[in-house]
Amino acid sequence: MAGHRGPGIGASEEPFPKSEGSILSDDRLDRQQRFETDVQPHFKGLYASAYRMARNVRDAEQLVQETFLRAHLALDRLQPGSNTRAWLHTILQQVRTDDWRRRSQPVAPDEHQPAASQPSGDLLAPLDVEQALACLPETYRSAVLLRDIEGFSYQEIADILGIALGTVMSRMHRGRALLRAALAGKNS
Amino acid sequence: MSCDPERVTGYVDGELAPDERAQLETHLPTCAACSAQVAEERSLRARLRSLPQPEPRPALEARLRQGLAPRGRSRLAAWLALAAVLLAGLAWSRGSATLVGVQLARDHRHCFSAHTLPAQIWSNQVDVLRAFFEKRGTRLPPLPSGAAGLELVGARFCGLLDRPIAHLYYSAESKRLSLFVVPEPVRLDGPYTLRALGQHVRLRRVAGQAVGLVADNEEDLAAFERSFDHSLALFGGPEVPPAR
Repeated sequence: MAGHRGPGIGASEEPFPKSEGSILSDDRLDRQQRFETDVQPHFKGLYASAYRMARNVRDAEQLVQETFLRAHLALDRLQPGSNTRAWLHTILQQVRTDDWRRRSQPVAPDEHQPAASQPSGDLLAPLDVEQALACLPETYRSAVLLRDIEGFSYQEIADILGIALGTVMSRMHRGRALLRAALAGKNS
Repeated sequence: MSCDPERVTGYVDGELAPDERAQLETHLPTCAACSAQVAEERSLRARLRSLPQPEPRPALEARLRQGLAPRGRSRLAAWLALAAVLLAGLAWSRGSATLVGVQLARDHRHCFSAHTLPAQIWSNQVDVLRAFFEKRGTRLPPLPSGAAGLELVGARFCGLLDRPIAHLYYSAESKRLSLFVVPEPVRLDGPYTLRALGQHVRLRRVAGQAVGLVADNEEDLAAFERSFDHSLALFGGPEVPPAR
């Protein structure tokens, strides 16, 4: 339910500790302040995306930690007024890709994708939305999640995933078609 | 115009150029298939948007706070942290059994403290897990699917100092045991026992491969190892592949 969405980090909790002493330079204080204002409010949303990618708590936590670490290091490259949420999602995708390369294999749950070779039109047990999403091949899942759950525009999705604008539309179409088929209990 | 299902998707998302959109809006009342696609995609989008949002564990927020908070002596702290990593790396490269044991204890505790075990593959069949790991370049020694009441439930690759190692989970009602296949080099002349982070660790070789066993309870570990050795002695391991 949408009501589960909570405020960002810092909104319901104490702000991050400012400093341990007075040795911090103004630059570093500014930077930290910017991180708290611009980046931290996206913590919960980013975790939710990471969890939907990884589908287990441990990997989702690692993805978010690495994303925040990289965002912290690269904060100077974030232009004031630019789209921080899209920027964080771009980093998250990079972290995910690097993680795959490191493992040189997709995470195991993706091995349970519906077999593409089955003839279309077969009736299967209908899945619920979460199950259907989990079965969706990663290529389509990332596009559908970024659009339908995160609400990004096609252009933003193209930038985040590093793909052409036209590819976004075709992935959206194919992804939704596969989801509809899974929800209806059909192969497609 | 003829039907173009991809363009219908673009229409649902409000991503068409004004002229394309006008064309499609003329086409829709005349085409049942495209109209149905619009309705179904809108309904799907509403269902996706109403999914509950996964919530992070409070511990993650705390860890991020700790890790990213600025510190006065950051440069010194960074150097010290780097030095610690280098030292650990050096110890690892020389295969220190103690260091390996502590890492295994930490990983055992980490995995078993998760809300659900973070297995990448769930199975109680050694053959299934063997195929999973072999496909990814890790050979498993002969292993039992259960011993001393503990049953194999699943496995994953864990990263220990950036080296992926096979971590197999055994559990019973209240007992938990981890079996790690430790990559070489590891200095291990004979079985090595260690107590670290409240866990009992046993490093030894099985069919030439270094293996780490970790359990919360010393008796569980000893019983598992006895039963394991017994089956190895009898059959060369219950799941041992035929001699080549």
